[in-house]
Amino acid sequence: MRPLKASLAAPTRGQRLRYRLKVALREPTTTIGILAAALFAYLIVVPIISMLSDAMRVQFGDERRIKQDVGELTWYYIDRVFFSRISHDLFWEPLVNTLSVAAGAITLSMLVGGTLAWLLSRTDMFGRRWFATALIVPYMLPAWTFALAWTTLFKNRTVGGQPGWMESLGFSPPDWLSYGQLPVTIILALHYSPFVILLFGNALRRFDSQLEDSARILGASRLTVASKIIMPLMRPSLMSAMVLIFAKCLGEFGVPYVLGLPVNFDVLATSLYQNISSRQVGVGAVLAGAIMLIGIITITIDARLMREARRFVTIGSKGSMNRLSPLGILRMPATGFAALMFVLSVGLPIGTLFLSTIMRMPGQFNLDNFTLDYWIGTNLNTVALQTGILLSPDLWNAAWNSLRIVGVASITSGILGLLVGYVVARTPVRPLGTFLRQVTFLPYLVPGIAFAAAYLSLFAVPRGPIPALYGTTLILMLALIADQMPYASRAGIAAMTQLGKEPEEAAQIAGAGWFRRMISIVIPIQKGSLTTGILLPFISGIKGLSLFVVLAVPSTDVLTTYSLRLVDYHYTQAANAVVLIIAGLAYFGALLGQKLTKTNLAQGLGN
Amino acid sequence: MPKINLSGVEKNYGGNSANAVADLDLEIGDGEFMCLLGPSGCGKTTTLRMIAGLEHLTAGEIRVGPKLVDSVVEGVFVPPERREMGLVFQSYALWPHLTIERNTDFGLRLRKMPKAEREQRVDQVMKTLGIEKYRDRYPSQLSGGQQQRVALARMLAVNPEVLLLDEPLSNLDAALRLEMRAELKRLHAEFKTTIVFVTHDQWEAMTLATTIAVMSEGQLQQVGTPNDIYDRPANRFVAQFVGNPPINIVELGDAKSELSRLANAYLGSRFAELRDAGSIGIRPEALRLADAERGVAEGALSGEAEVTGILPTGGSWIIELTASGEKLFLTTHQSPEIEVGDAVTWWAKSKALHVFDKAGQRLEAADRLMRPTKLH
Repeated sequence: MRPLKASLAAPTRGQRLRYRLKVALREPTTTIGILAAALFAYLIVVPIISMLSDAMRVQFGDERRIKQDVGELTWYYIDRVFFSRISHDLFWEPLVNTLSVAAGAITLSMLVGGTLAWLLSRTDMFGRRWFATALIVPYMLPAWTFALAWTTLFKNRTVGGQPGWMESLGFSPPDWLSYGQLPVTIILALHYSPFVILLFGNALRRFDSQLEDSARILGASRLTVASKIIMPLMRPSLMSAMVLIFAKCLGEFGVPYVLGLPVNFDVLATSLYQNISSRQVGVGAVLAGAIMLIGIITITIDARLMREARRFVTIGSKGSMNRLSPLGILRMPATGFAALMFVLSVGLPIGTLFLSTIMRMPGQFNLDNFTLDYWIGTNLNTVALQTGILLSPDLWNAAWNSLRIVGVASITSGILGLLVGYVVARTPVRPLGTFLRQVTFLPYLVPGIAFAAAYLSLFAVPRGPIPALYGTTLILMLALIADQMPYASRAGIAAMTQLGKEPEEAAQIAGAGWFRRMISIVIPIQKGSLTTGILLPFISGIKGLSLFVVLAVPSTDVLTTYSLRLVDYHYTQAANAVVLIIAGLAYFGALLGQKLTKTNLAQGLGN
Repeated sequence: MPKINLSGVEKNYGGNSANAVADLDLEIGDGEFMCLLGPSGCGKTTTLRMIAGLEHLTAGEIRVGPKLVDSVVEGVFVPPERREMGLVFQSYALWPHLTIERNTDFGLRLRKMPKAEREQRVDQVMKTLGIEKYRDRYPSQLSGGQQQRVALARMLAVNPEVLLLDEPLSNLDAALRLEMRAELKRLHAEFKTTIVFVTHDQWEAMTLATTIAVMSEGQLQQVGTPNDIYDRPANRFVAQFVGNPPINIVELGDAKSELSRLANAYLGSRFAELRDAGSIGIRPEALRLADAERGVAEGALSGEAEVTGILPTGGSWIIELTASGEKLFLTTHQSPEIEVGDAVTWWAKSKALHVFDKAGQRLEAADRLMRPTKLH
């Protein structure tokens, strides 16, 4: 029976603290969490703050112009970017261009992607399974693959170098078709349509036909059902896709760089790049801050929308049914449309690029015009690059750099991501988990090029015990790790939360200490998600351009910057060949990941 | 000598939340099969996890045998991996990447038991639980019941002195649950382990436990044998939580209620001392219907009602009576020769009544008056 009340004194505040410390020390979770928090504060928060403070301080070389000493507070850069006479060229026009390109890309990809998503998930179109994978491929390729393919086809005499195929065939494309807004918009729309196909398609697939049926039974027409039931429930996913595409367009650098430069079509990312490359650190910082701010606003809106989406949890209930609409006579044309989109977004660009690398003169389809020289030739009659690209040591150097830098960074961020997930899921210190979750998400708000600018600002000069890192591979690795943390930590948190703590607790009860639990239980169980957490950053790192273009120097060239350099020097065939290699790496990496993890990796490709 | 002793244990998850467990004193004797019983959210699982060391305390201390394993005041915390207990989770928490054999010998490998001895031990435990033919399979290839056995085997393999079970049967279907209940009882007899078993299922608690601790909203309500709990519930919560269909409660102070007036008059005329009584409870099986041969028993509480429902449960019947708008439930094992709509007379002997005071606590004075034969 119940014993007499033991006379146990209530613990004092000090005793409680001592006890909690004792408990915390038994569990390295909190210690790891604190170390990780410090690391990310240094890798993520400090660079961003440093960059933002650059926007408000007189930079070296500007003392005379501003008539203040280096490091003093100033409004000069902000004034210059937003209000001065050149603010139009620096900020406002690029802003308008960015917004209009994004708006165009969103509209186009909604139309195309939305239709495809519906065809794929709710109709009896032919070959739906094949198309479901094939139509995602454009997203696995670097966006500027399309840009290079476009120039190969439509380049005109506005810039030098080899002419485009159209030009060679005797038709001179106008500037508006060759460069600037139109091609940039179309390419981004093609590149980001998979977003819509994935997000909207998933929502459509999860949509319970019974909801539709109930409305029909109550006498609603097809149109009413579509407008009153389906659309309201689909809105969050559509909005979410829109916001994501917008955020991506905001940071997109490669496409507008290749296609915008010839006609001075600047977007915010290219404007920032030009300021950074001409050492306008202060102005660059203001621009980067502005891009960040727009990014933050966008993501905040997205978070709101996701909350709204979560209200509709009834979708995908147990009794959910997915009924396909018969297309009838339109079945063939619909399949044709999907096929056309595949050809336009994958076949055409890849085919064009490949053909261009085996042709001496663009657009001349004579047998003697074809050659493998640009791949494996020797003693070519050119100023530099006198061998085929595969025989050039520069390529292998860049490839090795790419693999090394991106590989190390991906493995590191994958492991860090799992650790972050572990701490977030386990630590009893709530604020620590919240901080880690938010700080690792922060780089997501910052477009790569702005993030690179932040790194440049912090590590370009020696600070305290840390030497100047500019020009080293270390700065690239660090920046890449930080840049990939949102995806790595999101994967880690999801995996650890899904795992729950019970398998680990069971091991603990059985007598396993922390280290043993990690080695024998946690890591083996999380093998799959760790692979994903490494592979996803690897793929996006391999095809990534914006970070490298700011931070890499010729000695630390990676494949992407190397191909961009070749573009700048008008070695079209070689540049296209390198881009094909990158696309191949990214595509087969994604494929390998799908095989290894037996999941549809495309769905996790949020980056 | 109690095996586990909790004193003044308190758990607060922080913020402004109420205590998940408040000021809990509990002794679990050596070799006891103790059930922590209560509705979900009552703090029973938290209590179990604190015993295991998976949750830390906000106040109080826990001893296992003579050893202090957890104390806020003394600043002692022995981590779970060193408490030498076994815990079976509700979800079983089998390690999906290890075979059944590796799941089972995990603890033994950690203890660096020699191979031959280890294999012998694993064989023995697997045979006891009838899972030896699955040793090379993975958990996902087993059914729920088999997984449950593996979860048990994994913990029994290291021969813990204390075995903690967190609703281990709730994910099984009814037939399997019955079988596993018998198995647990057998294991308890065979291994002589002290078992602490968390459940919200009163049937499970009644059939398995040697002692039941009923909890509600973080507070311990009553500790006792299953019979104690059922026959002498310490308060209205325990009375209402244990028993199915639930106990009939009649409020005494309700002037609008016909039943209340009836009960008031009954108590007033026969047990005038019980002025503090706030309500009485009558178990459904203590209610009888008067028939032609046997009328109302001498000195019983009785009244008129209409039959409003007859629910056969197979072998017994639940009869719903309505007396001026209030419902009474009655269970009987004899086929009731009545129909819905009949007017009947119900009665209950005074020794079958549970009297509670106005705060809902059992009035011991009433037991002395009404159950003179049962000494305690």
